[in-house]
Amino acid sequence: MSLHLIRQTVQRFRDISLKNKIFFSIIAVILIISAVIALLARWILVDNLIDELELRGIAIARTIAERSSGYILDMNQPELLSLIFEEAKLKERQHLVSYIFVSDREGQVLSHTLTRKFPETLRLANQVPPDQAKSVRLTRIGDQMAYDIATPINQGIYRIGTVHVGLNKNHIDQLVAKLRTTFLGFLSAVVVIIFIITHRLAKYITLPVFKLTQIAEEVSKGNFDVKLDFEQVSKGGQPTECPAFANPEVACRHLDGNLAPEAHGGGQGAIDPVCMDCRFYRSQKGDEVAQLADAFYNMIWSIRLYRRRLRESEKKYRSLFDSGPDPIFVINHQSFDIIDANPRAVEVYGFSREELIGKPFTELAPEHTHEYFQSLQSQGEAHGLVTYPKALHYKKGQKPFYVNLHASNTTYKGQPAIVLASTDITEMVEKDAQLIQANKMKSLGEMSAGIAHELNQPLNAIKMGSDFLAMMVEQQRAIPPSDLHQVVSEMSTQVDRAAEIINTLRSFGRKAELVTERVDINKPIQAVYTLVARQFELDNIHLELDLDRAIHPVMAHDNRLQQVFFNLVANARDAIIEKNQRLPDRPVGTIRIRTYQKGNRVVAVVQDDGIGIRDAVRDKIFEPFFSTKESSIDMGLGLAITYGIVKDYGGDIQLASQEGIGTTFTLSFAAA
Amino acid sequence: MEKILVIDDEKPTLTMFRLMLSAYGYEVLTAENGQQGLEIFSRERPSIVLTDIKMPGMNGIEVLKEVKAIDPSAEVIVITGHGDMDLAIQALNLDATDFINKPIQRHLLEQAIQRAQERRRMAGEQAVEMVLQPTGSAAVITIQGNITAASEDRLQSLYREALALDKPRIVLHFQENAAINGAGIALVTQLLLESQKQGRQVVVAELSENLRKVFDIVGLSKIVPVVDSLEKALA
Repeated sequence: MSLHLIRQTVQRFRDISLKNKIFFSIIAVILIISAVIALLARWILVDNLIDELELRGIAIARTIAERSSGYILDMNQPELLSLIFEEAKLKERQHLVSYIFVSDREGQVLSHTLTRKFPETLRLANQVPPDQAKSVRLTRIGDQMAYDIATPINQGIYRIGTVHVGLNKNHIDQLVAKLRTTFLGFLSAVVVIIFIITHRLAKYITLPVFKLTQIAEEVSKGNFDVKLDFEQVSKGGQPTECPAFANPEVACRHLDGNLAPEAHGGGQGAIDPVCMDCRFYRSQKGDEVAQLADAFYNMIWSIRLYRRRLRESEKKYRSLFDSGPDPIFVINHQSFDIIDANPRAVEVYGFSREELIGKPFTELAPEHTHEYFQSLQSQGEAHGLVTYPKALHYKKGQKPFYVNLHASNTTYKGQPAIVLASTDITEMVEKDAQLIQANKMKSLGEMSAGIAHELNQPLNAIKMGSDFLAMMVEQQRAIPPSDLHQVVSEMSTQVDRAAEIINTLRSFGRKAELVTERVDINKPIQAVYTLVARQFELDNIHLELDLDRAIHPVMAHDNRLQQVFFNLVANARDAIIEKNQRLPDRPVGTIRIRTYQKGNRVVAVVQDDGIGIRDAVRDKIFEPFFSTKESSIDMGLGLAITYGIVKDYGGDIQLASQEGIGTTFTLSFAAA
Repeated sequence: MEKILVIDDEKPTLTMFRLMLSAYGYEVLTAENGQQGLEIFSRERPSIVLTDIKMPGMNGIEVLKEVKAIDPSAEVIVITGHGDMDLAIQALNLDATDFINKPIQRHLLEQAIQRAQERRRMAGEQAVEMVLQPTGSAAVITIQGNITAASEDRLQSLYREALALDKPRIVLHFQENAAINGAGIALVTQLLLESQKQGRQVVVAELSENLRKVFDIVGLSKIVPVVDSLEKALA
């Protein structure tokens, strides 16, 4: 039961405020100490006082006993009386000494200081036993109480009388009472002072704590602009006076002290002179409470700075998201559904924001999106950027357009997500196409003389055949049936031949579609062969084909591949001509095109035995506007465009060359 | 039967030549390249050689040189692509008899062969036949056959005679079978420039198609008026 009570008390004590805890604890301790002191004082002071007074009484008695022995023997009563009166009334003793009387051996009172009749009860009230030197006993005299101190008067070994000194008990009690009152008064004063001090101290400790609590509450509610008005505040100013607060890009020496210089802002060199004596971060000398207040103040200031930075950063990224020039999507990590899209995405893709959100991203980009995102996911937590060039996306209404994609892993509302920016490069792709087309037209221009010659051959045969027939008819001569058959079948063949040249030309000149198709790589090679082989023959250059008919198709454009091979064989021809110009008697050059399948790659090799490429320029050979030929005849775009086209199809082009021996271009594409 | 050699890398063309020239009554020899052609020429010694200029391996110009080296009197007609006048002039300078453009016009082929035949007939004699004939307002020099370096004396004397006639203009009247080689071009050019210096009006009339092309290429048609017929030249 009592245990329960203690527990309850302890619990109650716990619940009371810190101020009261301090206050009550100290008061309780002081009270306990006071009580102990009071008890000790009573023990020591009061008893000592009484003993001291007794000793004084004994001393008086002994003095009288000494001086009175002669008078007793002489029975000189007047002297004796005068002696005891003298002793009794000496100075302040009169208050202490109630009476003195001297009795003889038989106990008869010889003389006394009482002004009335000697009370008989007093005479024998306190007798000194024979072996004792004194006896103290409380006696009653009239209505008063007194301590009777009896001392024997000895002459030699004989006791001749007894001296009794009565000490006034009232007086003693008064003295004790006075002592007690003074002492208790002092103790009370001490307690009161301590009470006040304790009160003040408790308030001093708890008031800042109370204020800090209030501020912390405000802060926890999100009010960071709460006034930090502690008593210790001696600095401070408008927040905008802090360079780091005014401009979140500026590093704060206090806040970013542990960061590497480049981690935030300009580093050491950029310390604002204002910051040399920071007006916001404080570290005062003072007691723990002041230091706590400072630390708290600094914490709040740090939070304010951080919050401001965060807000600025949020604002910055939000504005990037909202007003960025490119569409930005936030995409679910698992389902690839669109979680968020910026206004530019709405504008470019033509869907409303509501339509976009929740839509699987694969609807906008049906091709390669899965692989792309999977490659991103395989990165795991790494926040690297994964780029996908020239992806085909569809706007509302299935309108295709080209974009470059940049995506990285992120977290959105606590969930892993993909943030993806898509840059519309349709215009660039169109410009590319125009450039490719221009290069093609240039090629066509270069070819035109040869093509004319080539077309002239079948036309010539047809013309001669028809002239022959006309002549025979005019001259009414009989045409042998075999001749007639030969002429007409040859004419038909030659028409086909001319038509093929024209078709090849047409397909070469046509602009490529946006979408790639499955192309048997042998076909463009053959087309180029049709266009150039005979012309090359005229320059004593053999164009040899070694084509594997069993290779897989590749995803490409037929006529762009024609352009690739045309550019390569045209370069090969130039290389051979350049080499042969230095040699006498028109040697024969050879260009060999070989195709084969290697694993899941389709490979085409264009090999010549021309002049070769110098090591010094080998790295530049695919660069635009680089040419080894005279600048007036060559823009230096042929191989750059070739390279661009091959790369566009995800293909690879490798160069091996030996100066004076020849050059080999090896192209490889993924089999479709 | 007279032999004629055709050298062309185009088989269909060779086939057509064979049919056509056989119909004209020639024994037609064909070769698909210059090397083969020269072998046949050395063996068969045909009077007339038709060779394509653009051929893989040995080209027509080389064939022309080789043939002329073997037999300077051989008549070599070069076949040029359309518009390849530079090669035609080069061939003429190398003493080719004539040139024909592809696609080959039947009448041009006939004329070229005919001229070659006539030149062969006139071989050893005066290669060119030129006659001065004064008319009312002009001195007309009629030219037929092949104008070569050998024609210089005759042409110069006729020109001086024409000047002496003191007519307002001199007409160079080319016959259908007239042909010209490199040296002949140089000769005519020199003559025309001279007359221009002297302030004499010279008109060229009735150039054959091939000659007209040659005159255009070497720039003679800019120096003197070229007209289609003698009547126009006299008008």
